Amino acid sequence: MRIALADDHQDVLDFMTSILEEMDHIVVTYPDGERLSQGLMRDTFDLVILDWNMPKKDGLAVLNWMQDAIKEAPPVIMMTSRTAKNDITAALNAGADDYITKPEDRNVIAARITAMLRRSGNSGSFETKAVYGKYTLDRIEHMVMYDDKEVTLTAKEFELIDLLFRNRDRTMSRDYIMETIWRTNAALTTRTLDMHISRVRSKLNLKPENGFRIFTVFGYGYRLETLN
Amino acid sequence: MTFRLRLIIEWFIIALLANIVVIAFLYWDITASFDNLLYDGLSETARPPADDDILIVAIDDASLKEFGKWPWTRKQHAQVINNIKKLEPRSISLDIILSETGEIEGDEALSVALYGEPVDRIGTQSKVPAIFLPLHFVTPGNDGRAFDTILPAPQFLDPINGKNSLGHVNLSFDNDGILRRNNICFQASESSPQWPHLMERIYQNRHKKLSSIMVKASKEPLCNAPVLIPFSTSGSISTISYSEAANNNMLPDSVRGKDIIIGATAAGLGDNYPTPSSNGGLIPGVEIIANMLGALERDDFITPLSLWQAALISLLPIWMLLLGFLRWQPRLILMASAIIFIGLFIVSATFLYFGYWFPPGPALAALFLAYPLWGWRRLQAISYYMSKKLRELESEEDSSPLGLIQKRSIDLVGRQRDTLDQAIDNIRDLRRFVTDTLSGLPDPMFVINMDNEVILSNDILNERIDSNLLGGDLSNAIDTLVRKEDRTSVWQYIEASDINTANIIIDQETIVRMADNHSTGYVRFSSPRGRNFVMRRVPLLNNEGDYRGYIHYLADITALARADAQREEMLQLLSHDMRAPQSAILALLDGTIDEQAKQSIANNSKRTLQLAQDFVEIARMGETPFDGEELLIDILVEQVIDSLWPLANERDIKIDLSNIDEGSFIIGEADSLSRAFMNLLDNAIKFSPDRSNITVKIKNMEFGKTTMVSITIEDQGEGIDSDMLPILFEKFTTNRGNEGRAQGTGLGLSFVSAVIERHHGSISADNKRDGGAIFSILIPESPESDA
Repeated sequence: MRIALADDHQDVLDFMTSILEEMDHIVVTYPDGERLSQGLMRDTFDLVILDWNMPKKDGLAVLNWMQDAIKEAPPVIMMTSRTAKNDITAALNAGADDYITKPEDRNVIAARITAMLRRSGNSGSFETKAVYGKYTLDRIEHMVMYDDKEVTLTAKEFELIDLLFRNRDRTMSRDYIMETIWRTNAALTTRTLDMHISRVRSKLNLKPENGFRIFTVFGYGYRLETLN
Repeated sequence: MTFRLRLIIEWFIIALLANIVVIAFLYWDITASFDNLLYDGLSETARPPADDDILIVAIDDASLKEFGKWPWTRKQHAQVINNIKKLEPRSISLDIILSETGEIEGDEALSVALYGEPVDRIGTQSKVPAIFLPLHFVTPGNDGRAFDTILPAPQFLDPINGKNSLGHVNLSFDNDGILRRNNICFQASESSPQWPHLMERIYQNRHKKLSSIMVKASKEPLCNAPVLIPFSTSGSISTISYSEAANNNMLPDSVRGKDIIIGATAAGLGDNYPTPSSNGGLIPGVEIIANMLGALERDDFITPLSLWQAALISLLPIWMLLLGFLRWQPRLILMASAIIFIGLFIVSATFLYFGYWFPPGPALAALFLAYPLWGWRRLQAISYYMSKKLRELESEEDSSPLGLIQKRSIDLVGRQRDTLDQAIDNIRDLRRFVTDTLSGLPDPMFVINMDNEVILSNDILNERIDSNLLGGDLSNAIDTLVRKEDRTSVWQYIEASDINTANIIIDQETIVRMADNHSTGYVRFSSPRGRNFVMRRVPLLNNEGDYRGYIHYLADITALARADAQREEMLQLLSHDMRAPQSAILALLDGTIDEQAKQSIANNSKRTLQLAQDFVEIARMGETPFDGEELLIDILVEQVIDSLWPLANERDIKIDLSNIDEGSFIIGEADSLSRAFMNLLDNAIKFSPDRSNITVKIKNMEFGKTTMVSITIEDQGEGIDSDMLPILFEKFTTNRGNEGRAQGTGLGLSFVSAVIERHHGSISADNKRDGGAIFSILIPESPESDA
């Protein structure tokens, strides 16, 4: 896949390029936002990874520009050393499909990029029975096996687990999750979702020691992270 | 027209009016009835004794009974006169008109009785009494004269003295018909002769000279000088009946040497008149003229003051009062008026005592006119002035910063009252406005008066020190506000800023002098609670520029002072805490880069990163307001535990989460709370031995009506040094000495404490009995909304 990468630090460009090339992707690098914009006009990419703080045109400006200028814009992953909740939600709300905070482990970065490309590619097909590490999801029987033992779940809890696993390593907004599972917004508070998340985590023991963790982007949503 | 000018013009009008009243009343004798009444009353108090030298021979009812109806024959009179003459009186006067000639025999007899035989008379001249007869006047006279003078018939005229033995017996009456005064002399016109009164004739016969009254009167035009008669008590003059004289039934001593007056007293004869001494009844004309003789003898006729004399005496107090109107207080004017009122009576009585009559009526009338008139005008003027001023006040646009509620009555007085009400409301509003503004000032302040009593302290000050300075004095206030160590310098500042000693400069460090003389710098101090203040003292002036007290402005500079301290801390941080790991990395890079060196470099780098992160978080938190959202604390804690799992897992440390309750929602800042729990758990991992457990418990706790979410973190380490416990959450508190245990940056726990405080929660630390530290956090639960 063709991936556009923009950052003003050569170290970061090198580091990211090494990860992406290891994953057999073609990488085109840009040193600032202005060059990236020009590149996006001329070339077609499957994914854009860009830094927030760049000279000439920062990441957020490029994002905003892309919404208007590029038809069928590719998915965007924002990279930033800004960890504040407001910054992250600002980036996601501006149109970024995901974000990666610096510094981050190379395996995590690889997983997040894979998840993004998986979604933008063919997310329609799924197996009736899928195995994710210690977890096995039976989409016909609507049940989950953890360590070969069945875990009792309600229908909604199963749907939530299914959604999280299918979109693992991808950040989903609360609204997206709630609309997908409950369909309507009627009488549904974010409390309900929060409680469900907390419950499935403890029921399925979704913890780092089992290779997964549920990551909360406060004020925005959730993602299920796969750990190596 | 100004208020003052208007008042003065009105004063002139009133003064003029009062003067006119006095003069006119005196001139036309308008208050005569009042003055007469007063005169009668006063004269009642001092009746002179009757003149013992007078004997009235009264033609009374008994005589009428004896001799038949009046008039009697002249023979009868001749006999009585002869009888009297034998007893040798000094004079005999007849108050009987003898103007017409009667029967010759009778006339002859009377003439002989009066003047005797010519031969006899010469021989016994010394013993012959003087005879005085009345003349009278007929009005109107013939030929257009005002009146004719009717003398006695010629046969009754004194053959020797002729007309010189005649006197008039005219009576004059006041407007009320009472006889008080009489003229001693009568002159019909400039060319006619002056007729003395019959009694003046007797007086002249006694003393061989004119009476003093007659002397005075004769100098007046038409010898018109009526004098008031001081009446003796009615009936006190010696009287015998005519019939007794006719019957020779007289005591010789009562006649000898006396002045005999023969006249009618019987009621039926009509010669009776009202006088002040008759007590509403009548007294005979003969008694009246006898009283006149008595007055002549005693020389105590009462002379009425002339118009100009009376006017002068009347106007004197009136003018005093009029001038007083301009200068005195209304109370004093009232008192002066009362004094003048009483004074006029006293003056009148005093004059009477000395033989003069001053009628107080006109002056009293003027007084009664001027006083209320002035009062009325003054009231009117004040009312007008007030209305005018109120209208002016009303028209001032910025009269009340809060605006006025318009009220409107229909009538004038109502409107005035409303305007006054509004003016008063206005002033109240203004005062309220000032007080509210002062008490609502964002900075603390208090005001003292010249007695050093606190008369105002605003809300924020009361709030800060949690007590009210009001009512106490300055030293109380200083004791409350200032900690002991700083009091000396504060008092020095207060003394220096005192207006009396303002120019004495002391302690340059304490007092920074400002250019303005009134703001003599400020003083800096700490409160007993550790807050930092600067105080500035400014004199309070009133409208006249007098010192009335002092205003003390305080500024809470605790935050500034804290910022100063923080800058110091930051320098400390940058100079040591940040540099140390970087130096370590550089040192490691010089050596062999093996796995262990890589790990050390990574650890040092992470520590610097963590320090920077903490520092940024703390700085940001200090600047930004609390921005919480509803979040499930379980999720947040789980996430922190998950992210620290690799660190814990490395050393085989297990972190157990026990959340019994179904969901504990709080209002929290995800960033700062995550960082806070990260710090706590990071610390817990650091201080835990390998293969130990860390327990995190989340549960809801009821405290009365409020529910708190309790989060406790327990480790199985060595616990916290007991001397560290009280200062654990202060900045840069670390176990620097113990490298093995404490690798904290010193910012961590103070950051945690600040975060929890931000969430209206509390944090405490303790050691468990079986070892290990326990951190307890309480954060208020967010109640479920209805949605």
